[in-house]
Amino acid sequence: MVDKISKDIKENVEKFKNTFKDADDLVYRNIKIGKKNKKEAYLIFIDGMVDKSVISDYAIEVLFDEMEIDESNLDSYKTSLSEKISEESIAVHDVKEEDSYDKLVDMILAGETVLLIDGSDKALILSTRGWPTRGVQEPQTETVVRGPRDGFVETLRFNTALLRRHIRDPKLKIKTLQVGRRSKTDVAVVYIEDIANDKIVEEVINRINKIDIDYLPGSAAMEALIEDSYLSLFPQLENTERPDSAAASLLEGRVVIIVDNTPFVLMVPATIGTLFQSTEDYYSRWPIGTLVRFVRILSAILTAVSPALYIAFTAYHPGLIPTAFTLYLAASRVNVPFPAVIEAFLMEITIEILRESGTRIAGPIGTTIGIVGGIIIGQAAVEAGIVSPLKIIITAITTISFFAIPSYEWASSLRIIRFAFMFLAAVLGLYGLMLGIAILIVHLAKLESFTVPFSAPYSGLGLKEGDLKDTLVKAPIQKLKRRPQFTFPKDKTRMK
Amino acid sequence: MKKNETISNLQIRNLLITTVIGVGILSLPNQMVTILDNDGWIPIIFGGLLVIPFAVMLDRVYKLYPDKNIYQIGREVYGKFIFNIFMIIILMYFVIQDAYVARIFAEVVKAYLLETTPIEVIIITILFISAYLARCEIQVLGRVATLVYVILITLVGFLVLISLPDADPTNMLPVFNADFKKLPSAITGALFSYAGYEVVFIAYSSSDDKNNTLKYIIRGLLVVIGIYLIVFVITLSLFGIDQVKRQIWPTIAIANEVDLPGYFLEDLEGIILALWVVIVYSTLGPLLFAASRIFLNIFTTKSHDFIVLLLIPIIYVISILPVNVVEVYEKFGKVSNYFIAASIMGIPAVLFIGALVKKRRSKA
Repeated sequence: MVDKISKDIKENVEKFKNTFKDADDLVYRNIKIGKKNKKEAYLIFIDGMVDKSVISDYAIEVLFDEMEIDESNLDSYKTSLSEKISEESIAVHDVKEEDSYDKLVDMILAGETVLLIDGSDKALILSTRGWPTRGVQEPQTETVVRGPRDGFVETLRFNTALLRRHIRDPKLKIKTLQVGRRSKTDVAVVYIEDIANDKIVEEVINRINKIDIDYLPGSAAMEALIEDSYLSLFPQLENTERPDSAAASLLEGRVVIIVDNTPFVLMVPATIGTLFQSTEDYYSRWPIGTLVRFVRILSAILTAVSPALYIAFTAYHPGLIPTAFTLYLAASRVNVPFPAVIEAFLMEITIEILRESGTRIAGPIGTTIGIVGGIIIGQAAVEAGIVSPLKIIITAITTISFFAIPSYEWASSLRIIRFAFMFLAAVLGLYGLMLGIAILIVHLAKLESFTVPFSAPYSGLGLKEGDLKDTLVKAPIQKLKRRPQFTFPKDKTRMK
Repeated sequence: MKKNETISNLQIRNLLITTVIGVGILSLPNQMVTILDNDGWIPIIFGGLLVIPFAVMLDRVYKLYPDKNIYQIGREVYGKFIFNIFMIIILMYFVIQDAYVARIFAEVVKAYLLETTPIEVIIITILFISAYLARCEIQVLGRVATLVYVILITLVGFLVLISLPDADPTNMLPVFNADFKKLPSAITGALFSYAGYEVVFIAYSSSDDKNNTLKYIIRGLLVVIGIYLIVFVITLSLFGIDQVKRQIWPTIAIANEVDLPGYFLEDLEGIILALWVVIVYSTLGPLLFAASRIFLNIFTTKSHDFIVLLLIPIIYVISILPVNVVEVYEKFGKVSNYFIAASIMGIPAVLFIGALVKKRRSKA
């Protein structure tokens, strides 16, 4: 049973006051409208959530001036009183009629203004949203040399507008859902109707609708709640702060999920192939795009395995590397008091501490940490003979490789895997490391992202259709005539 | 939403290749040369080609009974009891084959990587880790095979690349000079290296495009023949016949033999063995998968996961029965020959004939 508002304005206002008890930021503005037959009306809104100039100039002032209510005449209007006011005496761009009490409460909380009029069983909702926002700025995380500089912001509506600016297509669908029993966070599911596969869109909407939580703290929580396998180390969704990147993924047939209050939007499905792509690739010439793709894949491998390889070769198989190299390794480790395993774990843990302290502290102090950590500890450790110079180099390479991977989440999972690999190498040498890699391969093959295999295109899906042209390498744009196959797009051709 | 349980033909092809190529690739040149001297490449080709007619028969059987898997077809043609006997033979074959691969693998790892580690540790670890793969669904196997296929091609390419400068093609000569009375036994031996292709019996029914599956299976077999030939040719041309006869695993030795300018390219066994671990893994996993699937269908149990874990101790015990490498090759070789003949040729032929007869009869 829907709780409807009554015709008696006093009763209605009392009801609102009761609901919003002890909420001092709520404003109840009482006005009398009409010149002869003064009628009582109330404007209810939350201070700070609304654009005040809209309310005073285009609602209150207009109502004061022009409204002439002739009760006897009312019957000549076929419509109700509220509709007449909405049609003739309000100068706000979007006005809706509503009689459900709960809906009105929701609208007030969302930043709209509710206009209650005595004697009318319908209230008007004036679109007056206007809260403090951040303007569109350059994204902090994904900077490009030669691309657009705008980034998503915290306001959902701005973000959808930024996407519309890229794709002026009526087929671009933006479905708004609400998540969170208390937070009532707006979530927009964006897709292009005649490209995106219905199954994927349906799956996304189903999974979002299944969420039953009181507060949705941003897109990271959304990601965790809708991904296929939340126990996995690997991200099965991709996020971005860049409208151009989101628009490009829409045109690949992917679905974009925008969560209110966070500038990071989610893109599904994600695969290994897409996690190695970066926006920059599409703003540079294809040879360099291809080169950086190789560099990234190499970096991913280095991040995950290089400390483990160091352990395996120094502790287990010095005979399996070239002799001159073995001799050098032995010479550089002469003074090191620890076994290679301890040495490696020591350095990797140190670098994790350094990284953590560096990211939490910004600005000049952060630089100090870099200097102290990098130069002093590194230099001193080698001079004191606690670690070998080669280990320092390997640690540095591992860390730098980490930052060469475009997706931070993807890189972070490889960073964790690195410790598992180190442990395996410490127990069973190269054989242990390869067992770890075998498990990793199977795990990656098992993962799915919204019914799409995460390991695509390397595990088969789209190989024949030529998905490698935009994952392993970046082919010239003239050669990328078809959309990638992993999203099962309805419209397969991109260019003729 | 219903899970996607199909696998593409490309994945079936890769599954075939990675399952067949495993430990055989290390010893094949030695085995062939021991029997047929320089003409060892002939049985490799014949062994592979011999499998193709049976793949065609299998395809025909599946065409006669579309939308059914091999167990359903078998039961329909021969009845539950008789077909279960076949299946038990195949199950034993998969178990023994798995044990054999695990043992040889462990021997190689022990010889080259972990001299002091007990062989039991290596067998147990690889079996448990392949159980992780065996417990997955068929589509995951297909994806893993495709990922591993890249590694396999890298390994073969790498072997070719490092051996090119030192290879001496005259070592291949003289050809057609061997005692061809030994050819049948050589082909039987070569057939051993094509064991594992039976996995496609199971994978076939999950194909998303059954019209072209046969084409991909044959292509897969041709790739396997090609890879075996490449390995045979580079080993023989690098070492000459006498050396190949003396080494059990001449393929690994390639990396040691090469002497390229620049010291960094010596002692490359590490790289080869490391890649090879993953390739053997993709043999053991599918074999274990096939064994557990057959087990599942004989005893109509539900839990696939549990059976995999049940099979591991059995495989482990069989694998540690032989005392040393020589015995491994002798004992498993003898036992497996019958099983391989029964499964590679027997099952498709028996099913094919049975299905044909049955269809004829039902028409009449």
